[in-house]
Amino acid sequence: MPEKIIDINDLCHTFSDGYIGLKAICVSIYKGEFIILAGKNGSGKTTFLRHLNGLLQSDSGQIRVKGHSVSNHLIQTRKTIGMVFQDADTQIVGDTVFDEVAFGLENLKFSRADITAKVTQALKGLSLFHLQDRTPSSLSGGEKRRLAIAGILVMDPEVIVFDEPFSNLDYPGTIQVLTTIIALNQSGHTIIIATHDIETVICEATRVIIMENGQIKEDGTPADLVKHLESYGVKEPCSSKFGLGIQPWRS
Amino acid sequence: MAQLIPFTYRPGNSLLHRLDVRLKFFTICLISMSLLSAHLPACGGYALVLVFFFKTAGLNVWETLNSMKYFMLLLFFVFMARVLTVPGDILFVFHDISISEQGIMEGGLVAFKFFLVMVTGLIFSTTTKPSSVKSAVQWFLKPVPFVPEKRVAVMISLSLGFMPVILKQAREISNAQKARCADLQKNPIKRILRLVFPLLKKTFLSADSLVLAMESRCYTDDRTDPEFTPSGNERCFFAGTVVLCLSLVCF
Amino acid sequence: MNTTSQHLKMTVYTALFVAFIAIGAFIAIPIGPVPIVLQNMFVLLAGIILGPVWGLACVAIYLLIGLAGMPVFSGGTSGIGRLFGPTGGYLLGYLPAVFVTGSISKGLGKKMSSDILAMLLGTLIVYGAGVPWLKVVTAMSFGKAITMGMVPFLPGDILKIIAAAVIARRLRPVIKL
Repeated sequence: MPEKIIDINDLCHTFSDGYIGLKAICVSIYKGEFIILAGKNGSGKTTFLRHLNGLLQSDSGQIRVKGHSVSNHLIQTRKTIGMVFQDADTQIVGDTVFDEVAFGLENLKFSRADITAKVTQALKGLSLFHLQDRTPSSLSGGEKRRLAIAGILVMDPEVIVFDEPFSNLDYPGTIQVLTTIIALNQSGHTIIIATHDIETVICEATRVIIMENGQIKEDGTPADLVKHLESYGVKEPCSSKFGLGIQPWRS
Repeated sequence: MAQLIPFTYRPGNSLLHRLDVRLKFFTICLISMSLLSAHLPACGGYALVLVFFFKTAGLNVWETLNSMKYFMLLLFFVFMARVLTVPGDILFVFHDISISEQGIMEGGLVAFKFFLVMVTGLIFSTTTKPSSVKSAVQWFLKPVPFVPEKRVAVMISLSLGFMPVILKQAREISNAQKARCADLQKNPIKRILRLVFPLLKKTFLSADSLVLAMESRCYTDDRTDPEFTPSGNERCFFAGTVVLCLSLVCF
Repeated sequence: MNTTSQHLKMTVYTALFVAFIAIGAFIAIPIGPVPIVLQNMFVLLAGIILGPVWGLACVAIYLLIGLAGMPVFSGGTSGIGRLFGPTGGYLLGYLPAVFVTGSISKGLGKKMSSDILAMLLGTLIVYGAGVPWLKVVTAMSFGKAITMGMVPFLPGDILKIIAAAVIARRLRPVIKL
C-alpha cells in the first residue's frame, strides 16, 4: 500500500446562512493517485477542496495531511497541497509571468537566487519560459492555466488540486492542460480534479469519487462507477455509452 | 488597455531600459523640480537632451504627439490664460482684449515647461517595467514610518492586474446591454447603475476568489525583497543629471 | 473569518478600488454636452465602501502609482508634471475627500441619506482643493476658475452621487463588509 497523504474523518461544514456544505465526509488519499471528484454544480466539490487547503474551517471532524492536523499546520499544508483555482484570471497576482510564479516563494521568504532558479525551472518545465516577461493578462487561456499550475508547482507540492481545470478552454488549450496534468501525475504528484465534465480525464484517473448534497455517494475505480455517473447528474463519457468502454480523450 | 493608455512600457535594451530604476526615479524628480525654476535657454537646451533620449527609447514623434493631444489642449489653455492676464508692453489690441509681449513669453514658457516634464515622464514610463516601478516604490517607502511598504507593493501589482480585467468586463457588460437596446434608456442614473453595479459585483466576487488563491499560496506581509540590477552606467548617468540640473537652475 | 484573512480581504478590495479609480478616468457615459466621467464617483464609493482608513490608503496608492510614472491619470498621462499641473488640485483633493466621506458615512451608520450627505461633502472638498489650484496655476480669476473648473461638472456630480448611493446599498450585502 502506498503512503497515505490525506486522511479525512467525519468532516462536516455548515455555512453561516445554514446551508449544509459537507456531511460526514470520510476518505483517505494515497500517494500517486489520480482522483476525479465528480458531481453536479452545488454538490459540495469546491467546499470539500477548500477544506483540504485550510481555506475553510470545519465544524467537526478532522483533516490530517501527512499526519498533521490542517488547522494547526496551515503553512505546511499549503506547501504540501497546491491548489489551482477555477478561474485563471482571478488568481493572478504578479505583473509578469515570472513574478506571478515567484509569488508563493516570496511569501515563503526564499532568497532571490533560489527564487530565480526555481522559477526558471518551473517555467521551463511547463514550456512557459519564453513568455517570462509577458503580462499574464496577455496570455491565451491554456497558457494562463499552465501559468497558474507553474505558480503552484514551484512551491514543490506533493498533491495538486484542480477545480474545473478545463472550463472555458478551447481544444488546444484543453490538450495543453491535460498533457501537463498527466505529466505531473507520472512524475509522482498526487492529482485531485473536481469537475462536472469527466470525459476529458476519466481515462487517466485511478479513482472516482462521486459527491451529491455534500456527501460522498460512491468511491471506486472509473470502470466500476462509469455507469453510475448519470444518476448523480454527471454525464457518462460517450465511448462508454456506445459500449466501447473508457477511451482516452486525446486522439 | 493598450489602446486606451498610450504610454505603456515597451521592451527594449537601451541605456535607459537597463538603468537602475531607483536612479531613474530620483533623476526624474530632480529634473522636474529643476525645470520649474529654469529659464528659456536652459529649457531649450534640455529639450535637445530629451530629443536624444527620445530617440534612444525608440519612441515615434508623431505617435507620441497624437496620443498627447488632450494634454496639448490643456497646455494651450494654460498658455491662453497667461497671455490674457499678464500685463506688460501691449503688442496688439483686439476689441477689449490686449495681448502683451510678456504675456506671450510667460505663457509660452510655462506651457513649454509642462510639456518637457510630461515628455520626461513619458520616456520614463516607456522604458521602465511596471514591476520595476513597483519595486522602486517599495524601496523608497521603506524608510517611511507606518507604511507597510511590502503590502503597498502587492496592492500596486494587484491593481495593475485588475485594470485590464475590469476594462474587458466593462466592454462585455456594455455590449450585452446594447444588444438589448439599453441605448434607449434616457435616465442617466439608470445608465450609470446598469453599467457600474454589475461591474462592481462581478469584480468583487472574483476578488473574493483571489483572496482565497493568495491565502492558499501562503501570502504574508513578510516577503522576499525585490532585487535591483544596476547596469554599471549609474555613476556617469547620475553625474550627468547633476550637471544638467545645475545648469537648468543657473541658466 | 479570522483577522488575517479579513486583512487580506481588505487589501485586495482596496487594490480593486485603486483599479476602478484609475479606470474611472477612462469610462465615460455620454450624457449631455459634458460626458460623465466616473472617476470621482469611484473615489467617493471607495470612501463609503472601504471606510476612511482603507479609503485613504486606496487614494494614496492611486496617486502614488500615478506619481511613479504609471499611466493612470486621465488622458493616459502621469508623473509629477501631472500632479503639479493645472488639474493636480482635484487629484490631491481626493485624499481629504475620501477620508471625510468615509468617516461621515461610517459615523452616521451607512444609511442611504448619510451616504449622500457624506458624498456631497466629499465632492465639495474635491472642488475646494481643485478650483484654487487651477486658479493659481493658470493665473485666471476666481470667477473664471469656478465657471470653468466647477460649474459644468456639478449636474453630473449630483447624478453620480445618487447613483453611488444606490450602488453602495446594493453592493454592501454582496461583499459582506
